[in-house]
Amino acid sequence: MSLSTKIDEWMKEAETRPESAVMIVRLIARRLRELTERDEELLAENIALQNGTRVEEYQKRIAHLEYQLDLIKRRFGVDEGTLVELPTQPVEASTLNLLVYNAQGRIFRIELDSDKKELGRITSDMSNDHEPPRILAVPSNEEALLLYTSGRVGTYKVSDIPLIELGGAWEWSQAALPDEPRAGELLACIAPFSRLPLSDFFLQISRRGCAKKTMTSMAQSILGNHYIGKGALQKSDQPFDLMLSRKKDRAVFVTYEGKVIAFDVDDLSYATEERIRLAATDYVIASFITHADDSLLFVTQTGKVIHRESKSIESSKSSTAKGQSLIPPSRLEQGVRFMGAASVRDSDSIAALDVTGRLQILEADSMTGSGSIAVEAWILSIGLIQADGGVKRNSLAKV
Amino acid sequence: MSLKVGIDFGTSNSGVAIYDGGRVRVLPVDPKNVLPEVIKTVLYITKDYRAHLGQEAVETYYRDNVNRQRRYVKQWAGEIEYRGADMFYVRDIFVYVDELKPGRLLQYLKTALRKDNYKGTQIFERYYSVGDLAQTYLSLLKKRAEDVLGETIDAVTLGRPVKFSEAPEQDHKAQETLRQAAHEAGFKEVDFELEPIAAALYYEQSITKPQNVVIFDFGGGTLDIAVMRLGDDKNRKVYASGGVDIAGSDFDRAIIEKRMLSHFGYGKVKHHPEIMQMIDAVPDWMALPEMGTPINKNILDKAIQAKVAPVRLKALEHLIYNDLAFTFYNRIEAGKIALSNEGATIISLEDKDIALWELYTRSQFESDIQHYLVDVEKVLLDTIEKSGLEIRQIDAVVKTGGSSNIPLFTGMLARLFGAEKVKESNAFSSVVAGLAIKAHATSVVE
Repeated sequence: MSLSTKIDEWMKEAETRPESAVMIVRLIARRLRELTERDEELLAENIALQNGTRVEEYQKRIAHLEYQLDLIKRRFGVDEGTLVELPTQPVEASTLNLLVYNAQGRIFRIELDSDKKELGRITSDMSNDHEPPRILAVPSNEEALLLYTSGRVGTYKVSDIPLIELGGAWEWSQAALPDEPRAGELLACIAPFSRLPLSDFFLQISRRGCAKKTMTSMAQSILGNHYIGKGALQKSDQPFDLMLSRKKDRAVFVTYEGKVIAFDVDDLSYATEERIRLAATDYVIASFITHADDSLLFVTQTGKVIHRESKSIESSKSSTAKGQSLIPPSRLEQGVRFMGAASVRDSDSIAALDVTGRLQILEADSMTGSGSIAVEAWILSIGLIQADGGVKRNSLAKV
Repeated sequence: MSLKVGIDFGTSNSGVAIYDGGRVRVLPVDPKNVLPEVIKTVLYITKDYRAHLGQEAVETYYRDNVNRQRRYVKQWAGEIEYRGADMFYVRDIFVYVDELKPGRLLQYLKTALRKDNYKGTQIFERYYSVGDLAQTYLSLLKKRAEDVLGETIDAVTLGRPVKFSEAPEQDHKAQETLRQAAHEAGFKEVDFELEPIAAALYYEQSITKPQNVVIFDFGGGTLDIAVMRLGDDKNRKVYASGGVDIAGSDFDRAIIEKRMLSHFGYGKVKHHPEIMQMIDAVPDWMALPEMGTPINKNILDKAIQAKVAPVRLKALEHLIYNDLAFTFYNRIEAGKIALSNEGATIISLEDKDIALWELYTRSQFESDIQHYLVDVEKVLLDTIEKSGLEIRQIDAVVKTGGSSNIPLFTGMLARLFGAEKVKESNAFSSVVAGLAIKAHATSVVE
């Protein structure tokens, strides 16, 4: 049916029922406005195509995808040569490693063994600059992103960091120093990085509870400029953690004085924003992504373990929330503080470092079962070892 | 104590009501619906054979289906025998099945009861006969009603159109299928009442003196007419009843055929019989989903590549392959309903590859369904003639059912009987309320 026939029919309706005329005019006007808006959008698109803006945008996107592809190839140990000779040349198997690092940028890489629970002992000073060492479990073919307190970043292959012998006594001076912090800066954290193509955001957390998310499509610019920013509002504040997350993820922050708060990553702002109101003496000691069926473990300095279901921590929408308090005031007065926390499943393990430098592995389900960790001295730091995080050395040999 | 309820198993909407001798209570069996007392006659059966009904079925269907992924696999369907003079061979028949399909949405279950050529349908690995579908719906509806009442329901008075079918044997078969389905759904005792008579029983509650009444029950599937003497318990009389298979779904179809097909390539595609067959299937809710085969997609893609009405064929492809048919039919119905109150409305469907917009006026609608008006008027006058009454002897015309609100038909009733005699009963609840009154009367007698 032609448009003119339709117009005649509309006119007929207006003549039959004059009150319909207003309605018809209103509906056509609305449609005209919609079409005008759409026309403007198409014209803008046309201009972008003609002046090359759109081409540049697509070029950037292609470059970003190429970079991600490169990362994936590095993660799986594939280069152009191996691509050609893949059937005949076996790819070196990845093993699960533990990185123990301090604020001075010193990193121990330990290859985990399924049979060994006592990993070794660090004999030198444990808390340079009052920052306890941090622990991260990663596969050996992982790419690590180092974030410094100035907001600078650098990437390194985990396999490039020299291994240290399991079960020995180690000095920090023996640890690798892949990129020494510059004057005035410290190493804030190391983040596994090769899941970048599967992630939507970089999520930065500061010591004073600020959060900032950045789209992973910016990765090329961030890594090209070696700078992601501090993600902190106050000068005295410092970056604490950096992680990759997806839109639907839920992030949890845990503080020294026992506060816990959860957020939906999608709700977080792209600008740096304070997400938890902390007391003057409090600061963030752990942050992680959690899933609905995970358990949350909180470990105090004396080795007490508090266990909560992930879903019991409600997601907060407010930026002025104070979080859920897990340490009762009487215990706080007695000096009880959290030293670490993690989102675990029963089959996961936890690496725990105490003040004497002893590094040991504990099963998550035994920790939740007994409610404490059998340690000789105060806990300094813990690190999660996911059961599906990688293959341990001995189990690889058995396979 | 055993409870007996009235159930209106309608073409588009259903309902359950109970009468205690003083007050009719229409049960809120679909809390998710805008009117909880009205439940859509829609059934959604998932791959694990879980059934949902009403608004829940619609929501589950939308959540699981619209713009979902598809993966077609070739599946053996059976074999066919070829016999000739000196040859005989058997050949395997394969069909393409979308193995990611999460469920099947079924509507117009009541229409299926009276279709001679529709015996049932295959839902994944199981075959559901028409009776099985009605039984699934009724058992879920019974459960909902029992949850509202907190008591077990044992007996039911079911509504039925004056004529399921023009053919007496088909009419009888449809009623017996529905009776069997109700028994299998858990109703120990099942009886029937004609829908217009049920509506009359409800109307009778509001009159104080005997009247000659025409019940004009115009719903989604059929028009049912009854000419009755009401208002006197001892002298209640049905003078005549009649009906015709014209109702809301026919008007929806008329709108699609006359106004919508051009948006999907009608008139632009001329030398592609397969594509024309797909376009012709658009108004048919049963045929359209069957068009979604990989072969048809290939045909459409090739035509789009060859620039044969690419925008319209892309819209057709999107309609068929993204499970938008249900949304499309709903938009048509919503447009039709809007024209009962407005002079003009917009029927639109916007999605990734569809930008359908149609300004539709009441006079266009009336012109599109004009031929139905002639048929409806004829059936109405024939029924009155059969009753032996003169038009002037009719005291009231009670209209009920969604389609009775269409101004074209309200105007016809006013023209024939006078506007003051045309009474409006609750469009969606008067039949079920009358069935509850009937259920109460029969249970008391028993």
